[in-house]
Amino acid sequence: MKTLIKISWRNIWRNRTRSIIIITAIILGLMGGVFGAAMRLALEKQQFEDTVETQISHIQIHHPEFIANPEARFHIPDGTKISSDLNKRDDIKVASPRIVFDGMVATANMNAGVRIKGIDPEIENRTTGLEGLIEEGSYLIEDGRIPSILIGNRLAENLNVAVGSRMVLTFQDIHGEVINASFRVEGIYSLPSRAFEERTVFVKGTDINEIIGDTEAVTEIAVVINNPDDYRSVTSKIQESYPDAKVRHWGDLQPSLYYSLEVLDEALIWILIIVIMAVSFGLLNTILMSILERARELGMLLAIGMKRSKVFFMIVLETTIISLFGGVIGLTMAYGMIRILNKTGVPIPGGDGLSELGYSSVLYPSLETAFYFEIVVVLVVFAILASIYPAWKAIRLQPAEAVRQE
Amino acid sequence: MKTVIETKDLTKIYNSSVAPVKAVNKVSLDFVEGEFTAIVGPSGSGKNTFLNLIGGLDKPTEGQVIIDDTDISGMKESKLFDFRLKNIGFVFQSYNLIPVLTAKENVSFIMLLQKESKAKMEKRAVEMLEQVGLSEKLNSRPGQLSGGQQQRVAVARALASKPKFVLADEPTANLDTESAFNLLDIMSRLNKEENITLIFSTHDQRVIDRARRVITLVDGAVSKDEKFESRK
Repeated sequence: MKTLIKISWRNIWRNRTRSIIIITAIILGLMGGVFGAAMRLALEKQQFEDTVETQISHIQIHHPEFIANPEARFHIPDGTKISSDLNKRDDIKVASPRIVFDGMVATANMNAGVRIKGIDPEIENRTTGLEGLIEEGSYLIEDGRIPSILIGNRLAENLNVAVGSRMVLTFQDIHGEVINASFRVEGIYSLPSRAFEERTVFVKGTDINEIIGDTEAVTEIAVVINNPDDYRSVTSKIQESYPDAKVRHWGDLQPSLYYSLEVLDEALIWILIIVIMAVSFGLLNTILMSILERARELGMLLAIGMKRSKVFFMIVLETTIISLFGGVIGLTMAYGMIRILNKTGVPIPGGDGLSELGYSSVLYPSLETAFYFEIVVVLVVFAILASIYPAWKAIRLQPAEAVRQE
Repeated sequence: MKTVIETKDLTKIYNSSVAPVKAVNKVSLDFVEGEFTAIVGPSGSGKNTFLNLIGGLDKPTEGQVIIDDTDISGMKESKLFDFRLKNIGFVFQSYNLIPVLTAKENVSFIMLLQKESKAKMEKRAVEMLEQVGLSEKLNSRPGQLSGGQQQRVAVARALASKPKFVLADEPTANLDTESAFNLLDIMSRLNKEENITLIFSTHDQRVIDRARRVITLVDGAVSKDEKFESRK
């Protein structure tokens, strides 16, 4: 085995230029593939974080009628108790009860349609990290005569208001009556999603419940689960526990995001397969050329009694060594590149458009270490497959004829 | 004297697109231990085919090849590989050394296939290279050796596995006169001292003049079988 490895290694360097070319192709191919994969995964992760983790959460629970008519009268029966029970479950990290409905916000000069979210500030912060998004002012800590409101940066710009400004919210109470209530801007939050910034305001749930006349009303429960991959099973379990409520996971809430991530996953696999296949065909060509050049030598090996299986193995070994050599260098360089780009970030051309859709315009690519090992394994498997044809050609040589080839 | 190789009505027919070609036609010969034989004949006379058949590199259409009481004509390929490895040494016209291995590694390689111990391989490889006068070139690769030196390494490789006989396919064809004589001296000495059976296919008069038996093939059949016992 040691001698076969030695022969294979030295054979690789017989035609130095050719070997360097194929190894460089492997390195560049892998770097390109890994970069593409890391960027796609970063986009996927960023989209998920920007949308699911900071906006909608993994699961939401509503009154079935609320989905078509987001009004306070369609609140979840026993919503507070359900929320409290969910917070005791092992598979749930946190469940945030909200009173959510649509309304209008008005200043002296302008007004806008908004979605008003009455929240428990402490629980909401654990659910969406809202406090961390505050750019100016504070996070619903004031307890003044006029209730506090948090508004998005974009809405503040549109309405030309700042921290401390007053505004009036107009909405319906649980009986469908229109109510006006005055609020003071306590904080301004910022999110990559401009639409969310423009459309969503947060107030204390206790304040809004007092105004609508029902201190227990909950129209939405946002749930963050411990293992995000289990979102389907946890959704089903919650639905079974509360058949009168409508329980939906993030895929149902954001189908476009869900399908976009699915497509990204699929595309990622195909990109890597195509890159590795291209590299494998390069390898196949290199090894095949080398076999044709060495026909006489291989014929001699068969003539003196080296078994065809050993000759086959020797060719496969050569291909494996080249792919491992190029693969390890390529992936080490790719690892370094991804580490650097993860620190510096990669601006996306036309990133403003992404912001409109609610996503960041700078990506921070990263890949798990296990991914690199998986690529090495896939590369070696493809390299072995690519070596089968040249190895087969080698063992089909007739020793008596091959030893006399010019 | 013990018979090492025996051929009985050995025939090889190649099917060409025009008509079948009888490359070897009912050749029955015995080769005894320690013989130095040259197979001669014009191009297309069947020398190489005959050598391939007795070397187990090709299968006869008819007839038998019996080596040391074993009929190899119908032997399965996998067994034939083992048989060649243990019993037959090959020297080729174009040396056919492994260019990425040193002279010592080239000679050791055949013993490696025979699964000899490392120590034994090393010792035998050095001994064989000393016998062919290349003790100074143990660690040289084929590219660093002259044609004559490469062919001597090939002879050392062929003998390293202690074969029952050595088949040499025009071993001097690519060598200058001095290298050819040098090689023939070495092979003659090994033939006499070690009693190694040598069978050459050749056009080279220098080889023919050294051989103690000269078999002439014409159109695949034996036309002459001469012995020159007095030759040293």
